[in-house]
Amino acid sequence: MDRRETIKNILLGSIGSSVLLESCVSSLDNKVLDKIWEYQYGRTSEEKKRDDKFLNSRFFSETELQTIEKIANIILPPNELGDINDAGVVELFEFIAKDWSTPAHNNYGEKVLRRGLIVFDELCIQKFGLKLLDCSKSQVKVLFDEISYENKSLKDQKESVKLFATYRGMIVTGYFTSEIGIKDLGYKGNTPNVWNGVPSEVLEQYIGIVSYDKEWIDKCVDQSKRGDIAKWDDEGNLLT
Amino acid sequence: MEIINNSPKYDVIVVGSGAGGGMATKILSDAGIKIALVEAGPYFDPANPDQMTQMKWPWESPRRGSGTTRAFGDFHMSYGHWKVEGEPYTIEKETNFRWWRSRMLGGRTNHWGRISLRFGPKDFKSKDYDGLGENWPISYDDIKPYYDKLDKLIGVFGTKENIFNEPDGFFLPPPKPRLHELFYIKGARKSGVTVIPSRLSILTKRINNTRGVCFYCGQCDRSCSAYADFSSSSCYVIPSLKGGMVDLYTNSMVVEVKTDKNGRATGVSYINKENGREYSIRGKVVVLAASACSSARILLNSKSKAHPDGLGNSSNLIGKYLHDSTGTGRSVFIPDLINRKTYNEDGVGGMHVYSPWWLDNKKLDFPRGYHIEIGRSFTMPEYGFGYNPNELNRFFGVKVGGYGDKLREDVKKYYGSTIGLSGRGEAIPRKDNYCEIDPDTKDKWGIPVLKFRYKWSDYEIKQVKHMHDTFEELAYNMGGIALGNKPTKEQNYGISAPGEIIHEVGTTRMGDDPYNSVVNKYERLHDVDNVYVVDGGPFVSQADKNPTWTIMALSWRTSEYIIDQLKKQNI
Repeated sequence: MDRRETIKNILLGSIGSSVLLESCVSSLDNKVLDKIWEYQYGRTSEEKKRDDKFLNSRFFSETELQTIEKIANIILPPNELGDINDAGVVELFEFIAKDWSTPAHNNYGEKVLRRGLIVFDELCIQKFGLKLLDCSKSQVKVLFDEISYENKSLKDQKESVKLFATYRGMIVTGYFTSEIGIKDLGYKGNTPNVWNGVPSEVLEQYIGIVSYDKEWIDKCVDQSKRGDIAKWDDEGNLLT
Repeated sequence: MEIINNSPKYDVIVVGSGAGGGMATKILSDAGIKIALVEAGPYFDPANPDQMTQMKWPWESPRRGSGTTRAFGDFHMSYGHWKVEGEPYTIEKETNFRWWRSRMLGGRTNHWGRISLRFGPKDFKSKDYDGLGENWPISYDDIKPYYDKLDKLIGVFGTKENIFNEPDGFFLPPPKPRLHELFYIKGARKSGVTVIPSRLSILTKRINNTRGVCFYCGQCDRSCSAYADFSSSSCYVIPSLKGGMVDLYTNSMVVEVKTDKNGRATGVSYINKENGREYSIRGKVVVLAASACSSARILLNSKSKAHPDGLGNSSNLIGKYLHDSTGTGRSVFIPDLINRKTYNEDGVGGMHVYSPWWLDNKKLDFPRGYHIEIGRSFTMPEYGFGYNPNELNRFFGVKVGGYGDKLREDVKKYYGSTIGLSGRGEAIPRKDNYCEIDPDTKDKWGIPVLKFRYKWSDYEIKQVKHMHDTFEELAYNMGGIALGNKPTKEQNYGISAPGEIIHEVGTTRMGDDPYNSVVNKYERLHDVDNVYVVDGGPFVSQADKNPTWTIMALSWRTSEYIIDQLKKQNI
C-alpha cells in the first residue's frame, strides 16, 4: 500500500468504522505514523524534530477532517487523475494547523482553519438546519455560491468570504503541489535535461509577437560541446 | 569562563567559510599554508543525501515547501535566515534592519542567485562622478586580474558586450532565453532599456574534471549536488580539505580575536556549540570572513587594553557605513502567455537575461544606478501556488473567485502568464547607518549582540520610484499589465527594508587614511598588522551589482598578499 493510501486510511478513518483515531493517537498509531512518514528532504535534526512532533499528533477531530475533505472535494471535484485525498490535501490541513499554531503565525490553526469550519457549519445550520457534513452537496454549493465570489478587495469582505478564500487557497495549493495536481497542471520539469531553447512548436504559436534573434542565439551555448572543458584565448574568447 | 587551549599553532586562522573565507582557504592552503577554518554552522555538502533538497517534489515536504522553518521555503538551502534561534539582534527605534545569516559550511553561497557581476571602473570611483560617498583606494585595474582568474577557476556564463561599466570577462556561453524572457527582451528594447544575457556562476559547459555540468533543474537555490553551480563549500572548502593543510572547526562560533600586550593578534576564541564551552586557537594571522556584520561584531567584542574600543577600531568606524542594495519589485501579467503549452522550461537557477544599468544619472533626480532581474512563474508549484487562482479574471471582465472545475481550469489557464521584475540598486553609504554592540543583550552563547540603526535617504527612495516607473513602461511595451498599484510616496515607493536584499557591506571599509577607514587596500586592519577582513565589510560602496564576485576577487588578492608577507616573514 503506498504512503498516501495508508495515510488516507489512518487519518481519515475511511476504512470501516471510524473509531480508529478520535482525538489522540495511541502508541500503535504512533509507530505506524513514524514508519510511514519517512520524509527524506534534507532536514536538520531540529527541523526533523519539529516535523516528527506534528506528524505524530492530532489537531483536527475526525469529523473536522471529514468536513475538510467534503469542502475540498467540492472546491476541486475529483477527475480522471484522482480526488482530493489522492492529492493529500486533508493531510496538508492537518499539518499546517499544527505547523502554524505558534504566536508567530497568530495561532492560524485555531483562529483561521478551525474557525472556518465553525463559521461554515453555522451558516449551514442557519440555512438548512444541518452541519456542513450532513448537508447534501447541492446544499453546500448554495452556500458556496454566496461566499466564493469577490467583487471587492478581500480585506473589506465578510469573515465567511475571507475564510472561504483561505480554504480555497489552501485546497488549490495542496492539490497543485501534489503528484496528481502537478500532472494535471502539466508541469514538465524537475528532471535532468539539456535546455536548448523554447521548443519550435511553441515558438510557432508566437510568430509575429516574439521570436529568437540570430545574433543573440549565436552567442548561446552549443549543447553538443557542453562536455568539452572550457578554454579561452587571452582576450576571453572561448576556444572550445 | 575557563578557556580551553589545546590547539596547534596555525599559520592562518580563517573565520567563516562563505565566499571570502572559502576563497582565502583555497588560495592559502594551495600555497602550503597551515590553516584553521572556523565555521559557526555545521558541515554541509549538497551531495550528501541527508542534506540534499535538490530534485525533491513539493509533496515530499509535509508543508509542501512552505517557509515555516526556512524563510524562502522548505527546500531552500540556508540554515538560518533573518532569524537564527537563540541569536537575536536589536534595532534602534524607528529604524530598520533585517540581518540574514546562513549558519553552514559555505554560508550564503549555498542559496544565492549566482549573479556574478564585476564592479566596473566607475564603481570604484563613484565620488569622482557625483561627489557622494567615498572612492575606493583601488581601481578596476588593480582587481581585474583577480576577476579574470576567478572567471576561469569557477566559471561564469555571459557574453562580451563592451559596455564601459559592465566589464566583460572569461565567459562560458549563456543558455538561450526562455519564452517569457523573449517578451522581456521585446519590452526592454522598445523602452530603450539595455538587455543582455545574464552572468551567473553556473556551468553551462565543463570547467574541470571535478565539477558537473548544469542539467537545468533551475534549483541553484537548493545548492547543486553535481557542483554545477558555485558555492564556497562545493568549490573551495570541500576540495581544499583533501589537501591536508586545512583543519576545519564546525559549529564553532567565534567570540573574539585574542591579542597580546602589544595589541597584535594571537588567535581567536570560540564557543563549541555542541558542548557550550569556550576554546581558543592560536595563529600567526587572523582572517575574518564571518560576513560584514559578524566580522564587525567580533572586532567590536575584541576589547583589550591595547584596543579599548574594539580591535582595529581606533577610527571608531567599525560598523559604520553599513549599506545594503536597494530593491523593489513588481509582477507583470502578459495576456499573450495564457493557456501556455507546457514543456520543461526550468533552465538554470536564475534568469537567462537581465538589464544592467543603462542611464546617465546627470539627467536624473537620484544618484547611482540599478539593474533589473527577471523572474518567472512557469515553475514547479510550491506552497502558495494558486492562492489567488483567478484574480486575473478581472482583466477580462469575468468574475473572480468561485470553485469547481472552472476554478481548476482557470489555474491552468493562467499558469506561467506572469513574470516578476526586480530592481537592485546602489545606495549611498552613510556614517549614521551602522551596527554596534548592544551592551544589554547577549545571545544564547553569552556573546553581546549587534544593534542596528539604518534608514534610507531620499536618494534611495527616489531611485526605487524610478524602478516602478520603468517597470510600468516595460510592462506596457511587452504587451503586459503591471499588477497591483504603484506603491505611494507614503510607502516609500515600496523600497525593501534594509538587509532584505542580503547585500549588506561596508562595516570595515577600506581606505588609505587610517582615520577615515578600518582596513587598508589589502584588507588589513590599519591598527594591527596580522588581522585581515575578507568579507563584504571592506567595501567602500556596494555598486548596482551583486557583491560576491568582488568579495572573492578581493579575498584572492588579499590572500596572495598574506602569502607574500608570510614568505618575507613580515608576520
